[in-house]
Amino acid sequence: MTGAVSRGRGIIRALVLRLWQAVLAAAGASLLVWLMLPLAPGDPVDMILSARRIEEPTAEQIAALRDRFGLDLPFWQRYLLWLGGVVQGDFGLSWRTGEPVWDGLVRRLPASLQLVGLSFAISVGWSLALALVAARWTGRWPDRVVLAYTRILAATPSFVLALLVLQFAVVGLGLGRVLSGGAGATLVLAAAVLGIDRAAGWTQLLRAGLIEHLARGPADVARARGAGPGRVLTVYALPPALLPWLTALGISLGGLIGGAPVLEAIFTWPGVGQHVLTALSVRDVPVIQAFVLIAVLAYVAASLLVDALALLIDPRLRPEARR
Amino acid sequence: MLARPRLAAAMPARPASGLVAGLSRHPSGRWGLILALTLGAVAVAGPWLAPHPPNIPDYGAALRPPGPGHWLGTDATGRNQLSRLLDGARRSLGGAALVAVAITLIGLVVGTLAALGARWVDAVVMRAVDVVMALPGLILAFAVIGLLGPGYTNLLIALIAADWAYTARIARACAFEAVRSPAAIVARQIGVPEWRVILHHVLPPVFWPLLVLGTLGLGGQIAAISAFSFLGLGVQVPHAEWGAMLADSRHLFTVAPWLLLAPAACILLSVLASNLLGEALRDLATPEGRS
Repeated sequence: MTGAVSRGRGIIRALVLRLWQAVLAAAGASLLVWLMLPLAPGDPVDMILSARRIEEPTAEQIAALRDRFGLDLPFWQRYLLWLGGVVQGDFGLSWRTGEPVWDGLVRRLPASLQLVGLSFAISVGWSLALALVAARWTGRWPDRVVLAYTRILAATPSFVLALLVLQFAVVGLGLGRVLSGGAGATLVLAAAVLGIDRAAGWTQLLRAGLIEHLARGPADVARARGAGPGRVLTVYALPPALLPWLTALGISLGGLIGGAPVLEAIFTWPGVGQHVLTALSVRDVPVIQAFVLIAVLAYVAASLLVDALALLIDPRLRPEARR
Repeated sequence: MLARPRLAAAMPARPASGLVAGLSRHPSGRWGLILALTLGAVAVAGPWLAPHPPNIPDYGAALRPPGPGHWLGTDATGRNQLSRLLDGARRSLGGAALVAVAITLIGLVVGTLAALGARWVDAVVMRAVDVVMALPGLILAFAVIGLLGPGYTNLLIALIAADWAYTARIARACAFEAVRSPAAIVARQIGVPEWRVILHHVLPPVFWPLLVLGTLGLGGQIAAISAFSFLGLGVQVPHAEWGAMLADSRHLFTVAPWLLLAPAACILLSVLASNLLGEALRDLATPEGRS
C-alpha cells in the first residue's frame, strides 16, 4: 500500500520537475525571440512600412503606426506588454495586414496539425515495421535492403523527396487531377512523404536497439526455453528497445514541425507554414515571433508527453529508484 | 542528431596520419571519402570546368534536353545546367562547410572556456546553451531569417545560430573531463605552464568528438541550405544553388524532368557522403568500433 503511494508521488514529483523545466524553456524562448529583435537591421517603422509596401509614407502615417504598435515605449515594456497579451492568447497585430496575429494562425492551425499528426503516425508505423523486419533477419538480405534504403532516404531532404514523388505521381501514375482538387489525397501524399522521410533515421535507431537487446540475457534465456525468433523479438527485445527510441522520437519531433512548412509549400497545403513563409519573406516580425513561440510550445509539450510515457513504462526513471 | 547520446563519452585522441588509412579501411568510410573528395574537388574546380557562364540566359536554347553541347540540358531561360550545378556546388557545399567550421570553432571556444572558467561562468554559459537547445534548430533558423531578412549570408548566420549550442555542450563535457584528467593534473604539478596543458591535454580530447559531430552535421547543413534556398529565403536570383535550381524548375517537371533530377541527385549524393564519412569517423573514434 505505502509502496503504491510513494510510487505515485515519485511520478508526480518527476513530472512537476519536467513541467517546470518546460515552462523555463518556453519563457527562455520567448525572451530569446525578443532579444534578437534589436539585431534586425532597420527601424521597426520602416519594416512595417516595407511589409505593407508603402513607399513614401507621410509623417502622420508614421506617427499613427508608432502609436498603434507602441513603438515609442522602451524595449522591456514592449516585451512585458507582449508577454501579458500572449498569456491571454493575444499575439499582437500583424505588421503586414494589421489583423490580429492569433486569428491568422489559428485559422490555419488545424490543417498543419493534421499534416504533422498524420505524418508522425505514418513515420512511427513505417519505422517500426522496417526495424522489426531488419532485426528479425539481421545480416541477411532483408536487413541489407532495409539498411541501404534507410541510408538513401536519410540522405534525401524531405523537400527533394516530395518533388521526386510528385514527379512520379503526376507523370508516372497520371495523378495530376487527383492532387489538384482533392484535399484528402494531397494530405495523405504530403504526410506520407514527410513521415517516410523522417522514418529513415528512426528505423536505424530502433534496429540498433533491437539488435542490442537480442544479444542480451533475457533473449538468450527465452531462446534456451524454446521461444521462436519472432516471439523473442517482439516480447523480449522490442519493449526494452522502445524506451530510448521513444525519447529520440520526442527530440526529433522538432524536425517534423520545422519540416512541415516546406512540404506545405510544395503541396500547396493551406497550413500555418505557408502563412509563416509569407511573413518571413516580408519580415512580419509579430507573426514570426508567434510562430516560433507556438512551435516551441508544441515541441515542449510533445517531449513532455514522451517523458511522461517513459516514466509510466520504465520504473528505473522514477526518482526514488535513482538513489 | 540521432547519434547524440554516444558522443557524450570522451573519445581518445588519434594521430591524423592514421585517419585517412582508417577511413579507407572502413566499409562505409571508403565510399564516403571517395564521394566527398570528388564532390569537394568539383566544387573547387567548378569555374574552370563550367562550359558556359552560369547566369547568362540564352533564350534561343531554352529547355534543351541533355545532349551534345549541353550535357545536362538547359533551363527555361537557356542557361546551361551543368555550369549552374558547378556554380551552385560552391554555395551548397562551400556554405555548409563554412557553417560547420564556424559551429565547431564557436563550440570549441565556448565549451572550453566554460570548462576552464569559474563556476559562475560555466553556469551562465551552460544555461544559455540550455535555452538555445530547447528550441528546435529549424524553428530557430526560421526566426533568425525572419528578423534579418532573406539572403545567403543571413541564411548562413541563421544556421550557425541554430546549431552551435549542441557542439558547445559536447565540447564543454569533454573539456571538463580533460581538465581534470590525471595527465593534466600531473602536468600542472610538475610545473608545465597552463597554456601548454590546455594545448596538449585539453584541446585534443575535445577536438575528435567535434570533428565527428561536424562531419555528421554537414549533411544537415547541405539539406538546410538547399531547403531554405528552395523556399526563396536563401540564395537569391540569379545565383545558382541546388535548392534554388529545384525551385526554378519545379513547375517544369512534366516537360523537363532533367532539371529536377540532376540537382536532386547532387543534394542526395552530398548528404550521403557526409553521412557515410561521419558514421565511419564515429566508429573510428569510439574504442569498440575499431575492431
